[in-house]
Amino acid sequence: MPNNLAEAMEVAGRFIAAGEEFDWIAGGTDLIPNYKWHLNPKPNVISLANISELNQLTRTHIGAMVRLQDLTENEEMHPLLATAAGSIASVMIRRSATVGGNICLDTRCFWYNQSEDWRQSIDWCHKCDCGTEADCRVIQNQNDLCVATYQADLAPALICLNATIHLASPNGLREMPLSDFFELDGMKKNVLNRGEIVTHITLLEDSYSLIGTYHKLSQRETWDFPEAGIAATWDGKSLSSLKIASTGIESIPRDHSEQVEAAIESWNGSQSIDELSESVRKSVKPVNNTGFQPSYRRKMVKVLTRRSLKQLGIK
Amino acid sequence: MSDDEEMVGYRQQPGKISFSRPGSGGKDQFSTLRDEGMIPESQGGNKSQPWGSHRHDELVTSSAIGKRTPLIDSREKVTGRAKYGDDIRLPNELIGKILRSPHHFARIKSVDTSAAEALPGVIAIATGADASAKFGVLPVTKDEHALAVNLVRHVGDLVAAVAAEDEATALHALQLIDVDYEILDSIHDMKEGLENSENPIHDRGEYHIGEANIQKRVYQEFGEVDNVSENAAATHHSNWTFGGINHGFTEPHAAVANWDSRGRLTLYTPQQVPHYLHRSLADVLEIPMHQINVYRTFVGGGFGGKSDPFPHEMCAAILARKSGRPVRITFDREEVFLTNRGRHPSHIEMNLHADSQGRLCGIETDALIDGGSFASFGHVTTYYNGVLHTAPYEIGAFHYTGARVWTNKPASGAMRGHGAVNSRCAVEVGLDDLADQLQVDPMTLRLANLLPPLSATITGFRITSTGMRECLEKVRKASDWENKFRKLPLGHGIGIGCGFFISGSGLPIHWDPNKFPHATVHLKIDMDGGVTVHTGAADIGQGSDTVVAQSVAEVLGLPLDMIRVRSQESDTSPVDLGSYSSRVTFMNANAAISAAMKIRQELLDATAEITGADAAHMVIGDRRIYVKRDPAVGVSYLEALHKAQEERGALVASGAYRTPPMGRAHKGAAAGLAPAYSFSAYAAEVKVDVETGQTKVINVWAAHDCGKALNPLSVEGQIIGSCHMGMGQVLSEEMVYGRTGHLMNGNLLDYKIPTIHEMPHVTPIIVESNDPEGPFGAKEAGEGPLLPILPAVCNAVYDAVGIRVDELPITPDRIHRNIEKLCRAQGVSDPLDLTTPKLKLSSLQETLAKRAAEHEQRDIDRRNNDGIEPYHNGALFGYDPTLPADEQSDEWKVSVIPTSEYLAEPRLAGSAWKHTERRHRGESS
Ligand SMILES: Cc1cc2nc3c(=O)[nH]c(=O)nc-3n(C[C@H](O)[C@H](O)[C@H](O)COP(=O)(O)OP(=O)(O)OC[C@H]3O[C@@H](n4cnc5c(N)ncnc54)[C@H](O)[C@@H]3O)c2cc1C
Ligand code: SF4
Repeated sequence: MPNNLAEAMEVAGRFIAAGEEFDWIAGGTDLIPNYKWHLNPKPNVISLANISELNQLTRTHIGAMVRLQDLTENEEMHPLLATAAGSIASVMIRRSATVGGNICLDTRCFWYNQSEDWRQSIDWCHKCDCGTEADCRVIQNQNDLCVATYQADLAPALICLNATIHLASPNGLREMPLSDFFELDGMKKNVLNRGEIVTHITLLEDSYSLIGTYHKLSQRETWDFPEAGIAATWDGKSLSSLKIASTGIESIPRDHSEQVEAAIESWNGSQSIDELSESVRKSVKPVNNTGFQPSYRRKMVKVLTRRSLKQLGIK
Repeated sequence: MSDDEEMVGYRQQPGKISFSRPGSGGKDQFSTLRDEGMIPESQGGNKSQPWGSHRHDELVTSSAIGKRTPLIDSREKVTGRAKYGDDIRLPNELIGKILRSPHHFARIKSVDTSAAEALPGVIAIATGADASAKFGVLPVTKDEHALAVNLVRHVGDLVAAVAAEDEATALHALQLIDVDYEILDSIHDMKEGLENSENPIHDRGEYHIGEANIQKRVYQEFGEVDNVSENAAATHHSNWTFGGINHGFTEPHAAVANWDSRGRLTLYTPQQVPHYLHRSLADVLEIPMHQINVYRTFVGGGFGGKSDPFPHEMCAAILARKSGRPVRITFDREEVFLTNRGRHPSHIEMNLHADSQGRLCGIETDALIDGGSFASFGHVTTYYNGVLHTAPYEIGAFHYTGARVWTNKPASGAMRGHGAVNSRCAVEVGLDDLADQLQVDPMTLRLANLLPPLSATITGFRITSTGMRECLEKVRKASDWENKFRKLPLGHGIGIGCGFFISGSGLPIHWDPNKFPHATVHLKIDMDGGVTVHTGAADIGQGSDTVVAQSVAEVLGLPLDMIRVRSQESDTSPVDLGSYSSRVTFMNANAAISAAMKIRQELLDATAEITGADAAHMVIGDRRIYVKRDPAVGVSYLEALHKAQEERGALVASGAYRTPPMGRAHKGAAAGLAPAYSFSAYAAEVKVDVETGQTKVINVWAAHDCGKALNPLSVEGQIIGSCHMGMGQVLSEEMVYGRTGHLMNGNLLDYKIPTIHEMPHVTPIIVESNDPEGPFGAKEAGEGPLLPILPAVCNAVYDAVGIRVDELPITPDRIHRNIEKLCRAQGVSDPLDLTTPKLKLSSLQETLAKRAAEHEQRDIDRRNNDGIEPYHNGALFGYDPTLPADEQSDEWKVSVIPTSEYLAEPRLAGSAWKHTERRHRGESS
């Protein structure tokens, strides 16, 4: 168990040199259930628990190891983050679950998040094929893409707050806007290279002038992953500050700036709210691998977007 | 003091009252006088009895009954001392794991265990070859094996079992077992089960129905079936789909088996039916029953999901016998789902007819239920889906066709509200629709059609007591119904639903009720004065130990801490059938009371001997026995006890309960027969988000007639718990099977049990109708309270948005789909512009209100009148109430075999009757 970032990089470097597979483990609330079901377990895990650099929490700096419950309880933080974090799982899980783990959450699919016996019984699927070259069960007859769904709640809120993500690897540091972090592939998921970790997220102090909303579609008010989630922010004055992002629909969270920009070009009050909501709905393509039907989830994207815009007081 | 009472010289001196001596009379050393507020009027006390007196009145001592009592084992539970199935750790134990079928349906060609046997740490392996005997909870449908013999019938069916030194080794060994399967065509759609098949899932020999997968079929016609549609002024028609649901109890199944050095087996297991397990173990292990001790551990919830003898229990015993060491098998949650026995997925067609006077002139029900791969309780479930909705309403005709089919899924079985829940939901929603069509208040419609106390239903069930009317009236008031129904804005609604349930199944599964009792209780009191109760009733968390302790304490006038219950081991407890069909309080407490009455008599006689006073004038209270009019003449409980023991040591007594003869003679008449029935009415208030389809239940007013609340705290707990469980079925719970036939959500994240956030505010309302045969008037509160919540919520959704639900659960996507349809029908594009149903009372309302008022008086007269005439269903339709209507008119039918006319155009489940049993085709195999 490494005690600082440098040590972590060194341990990772050693595994890489030896050609050994490993996973980072933060709170373990995603990784351990997956390991129990033998979902791509690795022979080694490197714990981030003792790396104090990752624990820092200020208004502009959120360490990867910050617990979700701390985000909800810290009054300094942007209320949108508290709302989004507060919608995740349950208090007990949030006390272990971390920001980094949430952002790096594995994608989910009901053909995949099952026990080993179960998956064997359907002859596996592409994401964890146990060497069988099994097909994807959602979109069949193609076996090079996994379309499992990204169902973490924090990302759309952070995207709307213009967050930057910071990574570290044995080869050095890099940073990027959060929406660039994700890769549209249910298996690769994001840009992280082997041995690379998320160290922290930064926000500009300016983000605190934004007001935001997060609407989450789920069967129950607690425990459940988002079947669709919409975050939105603006500064309360200028439409050009409006941002919308979604989660729970595709293999990555989506930044809907494109739809927003098109809509504000010819903004026309409440009719535009409807049109923008509709164009956000059209831009997403959910597949059938979560609890609710994709057509319903897509329709709800529109409803939630409309609600968000109205709640923000946009006219 | 009356003249005929003699004055006696014996006076107990205050200083000589031996209460305070250690061990002499409970933890409290001070006197607690009899609470006259709890002594019934009939005994000269102050407790009013609006429902009349009761045969147990003279036993009331105000010690325990009717008091809010924390369960006597609650400390064990909250301190973590209680030992559940998996908590049993025996020295030298092995861990058992089960290899399960990856196929829906396949023939096992061979099983090769040699590689697994060679694995170090593996001690024993069992396969189907180790136990050939079949078992099953019902003797008529024994169709299970400890491990698959020849066929596997669903993904998860048990194929082999391994006992190893540790879990990892056992799991590894499973992977080394090589099974060669020949895959067979599986069926998943229950409708397919009705058709002939090349390889039926089971072979019933000469009783096999056609070559189909029909496990049980029922046909019943009662009353004026022929012209119901013509007589009807309003008709409701619906086709329901109910998803299958699982009990979702907290504790997964677990069993520990140990053979002692004398060759006796002790099996530790959380079981609702230890006695049925006892019998099955003897069959499967081929040893006599006396060689087996079934030890029921604490049970972490059952709800019907632990009321079958299970293959894994057999496996633990077989592995332990083979290895010579204790074996522990504990399930993970997926295995619990694969074992299932939950509520049947069902298709129910419901047709209700009301005539111009607002009478229910006919109920026609067709229920096709998906039994999965084994029979379990399914024989009974098939009947219950029909017969349990022949009350609380008086009806003009009842036509029921039911069929249970096998499919290649985990077996369905008994679950809280067994067989009654789905069709009850359909009936109550249908009544709401009838009221809507007739433009009358649905509460009044119900109140004007209730069967009275001491009556018989159309199929001949005997209703002794009913508090249905009071339930409805209390709920109407508490919920502010008049100001809410059809008056709330879009997306906000209120609805009503009722329930009716058995209080104990009249038929002991394994024997003639005239031969052996249903329940037996033994009492033993030695010099210490503490009372040991031996009972086989299985406390599964519902509080059966507490209720039996309370009953004994009440009769003997003792504090609860002097009663200790031994109910866990078959070695020491008399046979009890188990915890199902809401039978335990009714039957077991009755047995306990009759045992306690014997002890009571001995104590009274001893007191008479000491004091010289007449035992007939004595009462018990405050750990003393004394002359009622002259309390100083008396002795302490211990003095009386020691006197009674002088000649023979410990007092022992045995009490038993058996049902009175009842029911009619047609085939299937015993199904649904019970010595008493519970009644309930709930109003639910919901909010529906019309844009997303999400439903939230915000308030429930829940009135339940449990006869008498022996422990109001538990009754309320049962009501609130039932609301939670029933709400799960309405809102979100469903075992989802995917396109490959696999269970997609066999875990508690994806199987959506409501959380605390989904819970509405529940106001429990207890109605006590004082059942003449129940213990101190009690009936049941364990299952009945679940029934009304489903229809109450569905009807509230209708009130809120105008959607008639016919598919459960009402997940948001389903409701949303219906809202879209409704928008199209109403020609609006925004669901916020929908119009909701309105009520403009028709002239029939007044007729109904008048009839309800008359019936109210009729019911009060009946319940307070000893020499009351019989009342048979049919009186409301003009027949002589004192005789069954079928004995008065040829129009009124009793038939259990379909006519060829019906078979020409059968309903869905009714089409099961198009097949002929093999024995009648002369080609038995
Ligand atoms: C019952 C239940 C309900 C849940 N409900 C929700 C929900 O509603 N919404 C939601 O968003 N999530 C939900 N979760 C998922 C999960 O618990 C949380 O998203 C949590 O934040 C994950 O954080 P963790 O620290 O536990 O991650 P871990 O399990 O430790 O890690 C998750 C993944 O991220 C990687 N990882 C972790 N930290 C880093 C890092 N710093 N750098 C690089 N990679 C890293 C790990 O290698 C692993 O692949 C739920 C989980 C459970 C068990
Ligand atoms: S999307 Fe396809 S490949 Fe990915 S987990 Fe689901 S079934 Fe497997």
